[in-house]
Amino acid sequence: MADYTKPLPVIEPWNEPYWRAAQRHEFVAQKCRACGYIHLPPGPACTNCLSDDQDWVALSGKGTINSYGVYHQLWHPGFKDDLPYNVALIELAEGPQIISQVTGCTNEELTCGAAVEVSFEDVTPEVTLPKFRLVRP
Amino acid sequence: MGLHDLRDQICIAGVGDTQQGAVPTKSGDELAIDAARAAIQDCGLKKDDIDGFFAQPSYGRQGDYLKLGLMLGLNPRAGGAVEASGATGCYMIQHAALLLHSGMANYVLLVYGTNQKTNRNRFGGALLEEHAPYGGFNPSLPFAFAFRRHMHLYGTTEEQLATIAINQRRNAILNPKAAQKTPITLDDYMSARYIVEPLRMFDYCYITDGGHAFVLTTAERAKDLRKPPVYIRGMGRQEAFRAYETPDLVMQSFQQERVAKMVFPMADMTSKDIQALYVQDAYSPAIIAALENYGFCPKGEAGRWIQGGRIALEGELPINANGGQLSETYMVGWQNTCDAVRQLRGECGPRQIKDVERIMCTYTGGLREHAGALILRR
Repeated sequence: MADYTKPLPVIEPWNEPYWRAAQRHEFVAQKCRACGYIHLPPGPACTNCLSDDQDWVALSGKGTINSYGVYHQLWHPGFKDDLPYNVALIELAEGPQIISQVTGCTNEELTCGAAVEVSFEDVTPEVTLPKFRLVRP
Repeated sequence: MGLHDLRDQICIAGVGDTQQGAVPTKSGDELAIDAARAAIQDCGLKKDDIDGFFAQPSYGRQGDYLKLGLMLGLNPRAGGAVEASGATGCYMIQHAALLLHSGMANYVLLVYGTNQKTNRNRFGGALLEEHAPYGGFNPSLPFAFAFRRHMHLYGTTEEQLATIAINQRRNAILNPKAAQKTPITLDDYMSARYIVEPLRMFDYCYITDGGHAFVLTTAERAKDLRKPPVYIRGMGRQEAFRAYETPDLVMQSFQQERVAKMVFPMADMTSKDIQALYVQDAYSPAIIAALENYGFCPKGEAGRWIQGGRIALEGELPINANGGQLSETYMVGWQNTCDAVRQLRGECGPRQIKDVERIMCTYTGGLREHAGALILRR
């Protein structure tokens, strides 16, 4: 994994718990202690009520593909061997929408509305990326 | 007192542009200055008449408000930098209108210049840093999402989308300023490579160097200037920094429907009164979204609605009569505003839209957090 050449997440104080949880293969979101709002990506305050009193809660890891794009153009050399690769907008069961990738299938198998669940890719000793897999019936 | 008090009170009095395409001999700031000079001359003012000034930053640390102000030799009373990517030019026009209406400024200059083509800006960054680990580069991603979802929900096809690129190239061929003039057919479109599928090369703006500038003033003052005034009949805008929490994120309906509720009542018009439309088309699906969200056609129908010549120059609703950003030049919407003004003045030669009196221009920017619109009339 020493030769991992893709961009890594920028870890800041408020998102560190998200990435530490991912390392443990746990998928979490911020939940506001003041208003109960569940939100991602992580931020320094609740995007609903602006409280800075934020908790972390485990998510089900379930969601659906809202939409996706398939990259045929290379913009970063780290993705050279992945072309064509997908980037998907995932609607999580708990509400937030996040950008990720759907792995373990061909791009042709993707559809809008398909059910997915989280999976974890350990890309470096310090970083694990939450990604998604199709839920096969 | 309300927004309708501004109806027909503010004019775009001068427009200026430079050569578009590859302009390797000039920096972005030099192009901005050339455009500013042209806009000031277009309306017959002197530089020192300018008492309001806005600049849009551009690639490679060009377009800095202070630096450009120094180079232009201006002492404006009011102004500033505005950065809302593809909606910036629209937002600046609105800021200028408010300053002019309040009397804080009398003649406002807006400028944008870039040498992004010569400097080889590949737009390869991620829109948000959390997209980069997943390979989500280039601002086209949300438009690929939008069109994929439109296909899924409404059965819209890639062949239908092709109509936009083909139509705009047809318009560009009639436009001496346009950077792309090779005709394209449906076969050319369908055999072009995907960039971010389902979008193909022809669905992407054509990156160019160039500059644009506008001078705005009050309707009263505009009467004494060189060119026929173009009036701001309506304006609207809406930001959506919580776009990621809206259920219809990729279609932009949240933002654009709110803009529609501002711009049409201010203008005392509906979409039926609009005779030509300019959409800030960084990517072709922007036109699908605008047609539906601003009420030109029902939700889900845009793919079919644009067929059969309806959006051609001689059609019911000409769209991007200049060729837009797909074929004329990629000036983050400035080129569309400029062309709309020239259409209303009747200066467009072979691509002139017959008897056009009322034009709407729409803009989006960022991950499409920014949305805005103008209705212009002669």
